[in-house]
Amino acid sequence: MDTQEQELEDIELFQKHVSDRFTELSSPPEDDALLSVSWLHRLLDVFLCCEAEFEAILIMDRDPSQLSKPPFDRLIPEFIERAVKALDICNAVANGVDSVRHCQKLSEIVISALDQNPLGDGHAKRAKKALLMLLSAMNLDDKEGTHVKATERSWSFGRRGVNKEQIAGHFRSLSWQVAKNWSSAKQIQSMIYNLVAPRGAEASGLPSPIYTMNVIMIFVMWALVAAIPCQERNGLPTHFPVPKQLNWAHSLIGLQEKIADEWKKKEKKGMSGLLDELQKMEKLAQSLIDFTDSFHFPGDAEKVKEAAANVSELKEIFGRMDQGLTPLQMHIREVFHRIVRSRTEFLDVLEKGSAPVL
Amino acid sequence: MAMSRLEEELIHMLVKHKQQSEPTYMPSPSSQRNVVYNESVVSLDNESAKEASSKTSCSDECGQYIVDLVPEHVIPDIKSIAKVMFASDYGQEFCEAFIGVRKEALEQHFDILENGKLSIEDVLKMEWCSLSTEMNKWTWSMKIIFGVYLMSEKRLCDQVLGEFGSVNSFCFLEIAKTTILCLLNFGEAIAMGPQEPEKLLRLLDMYETLADLVIDIDALFSEDGGSFVRLEFHKLLEGLADSVKAAFNAFGVAVSSNGSLYPFPGGGVHPLSKYVMNYISMFPEYCRTLNLLLEDQHSDVANLVSEPQCGPTASLSTSCPMACHLRSITSSLESNLHKKSKLYKDEALQHIFLMNNLHYMVQKVKGSELRPFFGDEWIRKHNAKFQQHEMNYERVTWSSVVLLLKDDNPGSSSLSKSAFKEKCKGFSVAFEEVYKNQTSWCIPDPQLREDLRISTSLKVVHAYRTFLGRNPAHVDDKCIKHTVEDVEKLLLDLFEGSPRSLRNSRRMMKT
Repeated sequence: MDTQEQELEDIELFQKHVSDRFTELSSPPEDDALLSVSWLHRLLDVFLCCEAEFEAILIMDRDPSQLSKPPFDRLIPEFIERAVKALDICNAVANGVDSVRHCQKLSEIVISALDQNPLGDGHAKRAKKALLMLLSAMNLDDKEGTHVKATERSWSFGRRGVNKEQIAGHFRSLSWQVAKNWSSAKQIQSMIYNLVAPRGAEASGLPSPIYTMNVIMIFVMWALVAAIPCQERNGLPTHFPVPKQLNWAHSLIGLQEKIADEWKKKEKKGMSGLLDELQKMEKLAQSLIDFTDSFHFPGDAEKVKEAAANVSELKEIFGRMDQGLTPLQMHIREVFHRIVRSRTEFLDVLEKGSAPVL
Repeated sequence: MAMSRLEEELIHMLVKHKQQSEPTYMPSPSSQRNVVYNESVVSLDNESAKEASSKTSCSDECGQYIVDLVPEHVIPDIKSIAKVMFASDYGQEFCEAFIGVRKEALEQHFDILENGKLSIEDVLKMEWCSLSTEMNKWTWSMKIIFGVYLMSEKRLCDQVLGEFGSVNSFCFLEIAKTTILCLLNFGEAIAMGPQEPEKLLRLLDMYETLADLVIDIDALFSEDGGSFVRLEFHKLLEGLADSVKAAFNAFGVAVSSNGSLYPFPGGGVHPLSKYVMNYISMFPEYCRTLNLLLEDQHSDVANLVSEPQCGPTASLSTSCPMACHLRSITSSLESNLHKKSKLYKDEALQHIFLMNNLHYMVQKVKGSELRPFFGDEWIRKHNAKFQQHEMNYERVTWSSVVLLLKDDNPGSSSLSKSAFKEKCKGFSVAFEEVYKNQTSWCIPDPQLREDLRISTSLKVVHAYRTFLGRNPAHVDDKCIKHTVEDVEKLLLDLFEGSPRSLRNSRRMMKT
């Protein structure tokens, strides 16, 4: 089989793998709901696998000068630029995970407070405070958190009651900024910019997997931003210009549409991340806060039972977060380093390819 | 509720006392800068403008300073609050409050250091001047944050939370995380970037700083939770090492590939020579690091260097990796200069050019910290080289001229009038030709200029005087255009760098 045929076969195989992997992601088992912590882990794994295959196709056993000729002299630098943008998103998301860990910590307080038998007034009050903190932490606009000045902050959980300004100050985790005026939404938008599916002859050659990898990278970053609260997500694009007729893209597009729908729903209410655990936590927190509000020792037996059930669900979520969040940050770092390496490889190839033959 | 009150008090105490104890040790980075220049090698040909930019001399004296972030007397109170809260199972609230206040305090210190919050994209696109400043700030901030603030913060955490097990290191990590990730991010962005020659010194600063701090980082984050911090900074150190090597190589390539389309006017010291020699004269300060990083590339270079430093004069410093690389670079420079000299049509000017530049190189080596790395042997050899060019110049220029004055018939008495006239004229024409051409040539170094004049003078003036002396009968003839004194004076105009014609100077001499 000559090299060109081999190449076509490799490309086909690559795209089949992509399709398979995203199909798997689309029908997750019970525990692995869409955009849950463990689902995100799988998404990142999919990225790493696809990326490895992609690099192999493009670089291995290939004469570098081939990649310096059109259209690759444009396609590859564009890919590298998008990769750099993805790096900043990785950082923003990895730090956003910190704010989720903050929620996790707050929920731990709630659990400590309410996981008592018998439940006392003191416990309920403690839980209520923590719940209020938790709810505002989750619904805080990403923007607000970053602009609160130090002088406005007060660190008291105290009796004075908790109003929004004070709570805003508590959202300490968002103080990390990628850069001033940086926006994750805009970043995604600029990654999508100029993304054009290859047509005609190019569609069956190397430009095709390059396009595929671009789409995968954008999708993964986009999903991460949707799930995890990070800097400035207002205006996150909900539409990807991926032509539906591409076979490998079906599952991906399906996923994208599902997530986009969720996003649009949530956009109206507030800005908490679409992370499955966060969403569930929010619901539980809402019902628990109603409970603690109206609680007086010894409390209504029905309601106490209900609350206990909520608390045990909360415990479960807490457990999943506890197990999965720090590894998620590490996983994102892994993706970060892989993208850095990949970029270096491509830059090397471009350099070698354009070096004059002496 | 008692607990909330306790909490309030804790926070109140922490916030109040945080503000009162700003550490007094806060030297600014600007107090340590020497002004050196930096420029890009790319557009060197026929350019004279150089930009001065500052460099931080990385002071090694910034060791650890532990400061009291919270006054001593407050600590026991905080500790007792902690005890109570932990005992009543309110440990989480304590941690939240404690982390919150301390984290903010640390970030305020960090803000004062004015590290621009930059995305990786920003850093990769930044132009050199701004980037250089940011790299300096980073180097400085790393020392202050790790060497002072984090050390102190760790001590505070130990004092307050020491008896609560892993909570201690957890809190410390949470307090420090944001700040150190910001620093890490910038470092990584730099390590990713294209490593141009002008970045070399800043990269060395960054590398050295991190190399010194890595032990502290390992100590501060010695527990499991902090392992990723240790890992990332070790990775960064490697990345910076690679960057230094890449920048160094890029420098070498730039030196050898710097091309010229046109000959450098006047034959003086080429900007490339100035750039290279001034740049490398700053390397000895980083000798330890460069030797470490360039070691594995040592073996290739040692073979390329044309002047092996073996023998009695060889010493440790002339044979270390950095020294070998330095000599390889100057050797590249020499080859490049030879190529450039071929652009001159006039062979004499080729020699002047090479003489000037080689002399400059030797002076630079002799007068700087480079001397021990090049060694006396190298200096001797290169002295000989430029002196050789000096002699070549004289031969090429003056031999034929002096030949015109030669006595064809030694032993016979003076020449006939016509022969004399012819010789006189021949000499004048030749002399004037040389004068016209070579007054616009340049020998920047006054000592060298003087040497060449004296040696030329000895040759030419002497020959002319002898010639006239042998033909005393014709001395008053009008055909003698120049007297010996004239010739002497005119020779002084050579190599001043400003072209003259003889008409001008004659007019000047007559008035």
